[in-house]
Amino acid sequence: MDEYIVEMRHVTKRFPGIVANDDVSLGIKKGEIFALLGENGAGKSTLMSILFGMYEPDEGEVYIRGQKVETFSPNHATELNIGMVHQHFKLVSNYTITENIILGMEPPRRMFGVLPAVDVKGADKKVAELSRRYGLEVEPTQKIEDLNVSMQQRVEILKMLYREAEILIFDEPTAVLTPQEVDFLLDIIREMRRRGKTIILITHKLEEIKQVADRCAILCRGKLVGTYDVAATSTSEMAARMVGREVSFTVDKSPAKFGAPVLNVEHLSVKNQDGLTVVDDVSFTVRGGEIFAIAGVSGNGQVEIADAVAGLVPAASGTITLAGKDVTRASVRERALQGLAYIPEDRQARGLILDFTLSENLLLKRYYQEPYCVKGVLHRDKFDEKSRELIERFDIRSGQGEATIVRSMSGGNQQKAIVAREIELDAPCIVFVQPTRGLDIGAIENIHKQILEERDKGRAILLISLELDEIMNLADTIGVIYNGKLLKTAGADTMTTHEVGRYMMGVKE
Amino acid sequence: MKEKKQSALTRAFLAVMGDEKRQSFTIPLFAVFLSLIAGAVLMLVLGKNPLAAYQSLLQGCGMLPKEKYAGGKGMFTDLMSYLDIWTPMLFASLAVAVAYKAGLFNIGVSGQMLIGGFIASITVGYSGLPAVIARPLVIVVCMAVGALAGSLIGFLKYKFNINEVVSAIMLNYIFQYIISFFILTFYVNPITRQSETVTAEARLTLQDVRIFGLKTVVPLGFIVAVAAALALHYFINRTRTGFELKAVGASKGAAVYAGVNANRSIMLAMALSGALAGLAGATYYLGYLGSIQPKVLPSTGFDAIAVCLLGNSNPLGILASSFLITIITKGGTYMNSSIGVPQEVSSLITALMLLFAACGVYIRARLKRSKDRAATAQRKEGEQA
Repeated sequence: MDEYIVEMRHVTKRFPGIVANDDVSLGIKKGEIFALLGENGAGKSTLMSILFGMYEPDEGEVYIRGQKVETFSPNHATELNIGMVHQHFKLVSNYTITENIILGMEPPRRMFGVLPAVDVKGADKKVAELSRRYGLEVEPTQKIEDLNVSMQQRVEILKMLYREAEILIFDEPTAVLTPQEVDFLLDIIREMRRRGKTIILITHKLEEIKQVADRCAILCRGKLVGTYDVAATSTSEMAARMVGREVSFTVDKSPAKFGAPVLNVEHLSVKNQDGLTVVDDVSFTVRGGEIFAIAGVSGNGQVEIADAVAGLVPAASGTITLAGKDVTRASVRERALQGLAYIPEDRQARGLILDFTLSENLLLKRYYQEPYCVKGVLHRDKFDEKSRELIERFDIRSGQGEATIVRSMSGGNQQKAIVAREIELDAPCIVFVQPTRGLDIGAIENIHKQILEERDKGRAILLISLELDEIMNLADTIGVIYNGKLLKTAGADTMTTHEVGRYMMGVKE
Repeated sequence: MKEKKQSALTRAFLAVMGDEKRQSFTIPLFAVFLSLIAGAVLMLVLGKNPLAAYQSLLQGCGMLPKEKYAGGKGMFTDLMSYLDIWTPMLFASLAVAVAYKAGLFNIGVSGQMLIGGFIASITVGYSGLPAVIARPLVIVVCMAVGALAGSLIGFLKYKFNINEVVSAIMLNYIFQYIISFFILTFYVNPITRQSETVTAEARLTLQDVRIFGLKTVVPLGFIVAVAAALALHYFINRTRTGFELKAVGASKGAAVYAGVNANRSIMLAMALSGALAGLAGATYYLGYLGSIQPKVLPSTGFDAIAVCLLGNSNPLGILASSFLITIITKGGTYMNSSIGVPQEVSSLITALMLLFAACGVYIRARLKRSKDRAATAQRKEGEQA
């Protein structure tokens, strides 16, 4: 058993109502890239949180370098040279990169030979050195608030390297990155392997595993399906094992039957908080029965279009017409009543109230209507009744049914709850922003099916996504946005993936 | 995996603390218990008998009989004067709670109490109107003034994004000194150096009422305060407006997305909070005291923050926590005079209570861990059998 640097034997971890890990055993060799694959809620993150000491397993043992782990705490894990890059970064935004990295283990020095102080300059040098060695390309004196997501992630990686981590855990590292940034990250990971680090990659993106991983373990509903050699296993085989059945990568789509225009956006411009124009003179029309997709690299103004349509940010100029009515100046609720459903990008800060129950969240757009609210008094029994119906219909899984606090639910089920709530509104126009971000194949398939169903019911659908595959699979019409401008609008069948990709990079004709 | 066998004591403790729902009141109770023990240790160090001390706290509030009473006094009069001081504390704590539910921290309750009480004193308190008109008018004026003062903070927050804590503290100072100026210039009683006492007709606490041959106070506001706690509980949990208010407090982004007018909710919460603070001012200055001491903010408004936290910012919880904390603060005087424990000790016990209450999250996490362990151990035994 000495060949394994990490070994987990018969690990079981239970949460109220759910067995997150059920008798999982696996071994990871020194110097390999080991991928952990599974759907949302399959127990990947829990398993790695145990390894990183954030949870104690209910049963089973963990061995690091052949030594049984007795104390479970992140500090102890750090002592064992284990590091973890979390999905949500843990950085102080007004500190520099170096300050963030040395936080908690500041190198001491003596000012004038006596006064204790922190040796920031020395640390800067060390950070720059590390950054160069692994090709991370960061400037140690920059502040976190000036960095984009990809750079912040690299700071997290540097933090681990600075602490001399030998075993590095990445929790869904590519979920927040653009395709180019993903390539860059995978290069860094390869470089780390070359230098003898052991890497564990939690992901549900098969192509990434195929690209970098040596071996992968597949989890399905808390149980280990098996450990596979990546080179000898095909992606479709992995996908099938992950969801427990065969998965089709393309979507069955019936020909579109376009109806009358439902959402009409004309010369829309939006300014951000700093007064910069982020959406610049954008016009488009979405007809009933049509999926109009806006493709683009993250941060080119697509989210602002959706927020402007929903009324969350004001339009600087232009008009928005919804179901025949000018709603440019209407409130959020007036637009919802006029017939707008909205699945927002940020499900935790926008789409849900995490500390409310599932029932309250499922009724977040209807709580003020009869029969849920009569003369200003809420009828909780009606809330619960409706919620149980939606939970059943949309297969939302949670520990305690409609009384579950949403914070404790998995990301996939949180998204299901939002989709359920919005579809149930029966609105003629539905805006989906990044509807499948961070979801697993099974859930993605499910949501794609629902989007198509709504389209076939004659609803107008505005789809904003960073996943080009998703857009190519679903859209009837594609608009490509670059730098706040709609560069090209055309029927989906008239453009190839390659062409859309070129427009996304700002290349005209 | 440490295979520690859980002792019978641990298991009994887990059983008492109950499930997560029950923990929302067993944990504060546990905090109270711990602080009483800590207080007892402190008194032993001071060489006093803690049991006698705690007994004297209750005696001071008319919940246990004292050894002897002065003429015209009795347990009943002590209880009534306890209710008299409990009333403003309850109102003030509810004021903190309603703002807290909307995600706002109203640290200006003291200032709102003061301005409400002052305006009511000079408009109604000295007017000589008959009681039937004067008393309801006091309540209305205090609520209205308090609500206006609260709304001002809410308005500054939503219009200019000024942090409510900062503006509330500044307003506290402004009210305190402006009102002192007016009292000292126009309304001061040269002997007491306080404002002139309001007329008996306007006062919300009846003085020297003869009941069972005893001379007692009758705090009329007490009934209103308990009713307000119940009404607030209903408002927050069962009404549409309360739901919106809580939604804004729990996640402003999501509330706006759901179509809630967040600015309206903020204004409403602050107005409501201010109105309740105004009621606290009414029952404090035109009830309990009858006059206003210049240059002093009532400590009630600050203690209320602590009471609110101990009561989980739930109106029913606050009913219990304000009851308890008032016993300790009010009973402290008698504890001092009867067995010589310094009055500061009662403040200390209150502080300890809040300290332990603030550890609630930690206690909750520990309970959860022990419980998970117990469940695992039980399952293993089951498998072996």
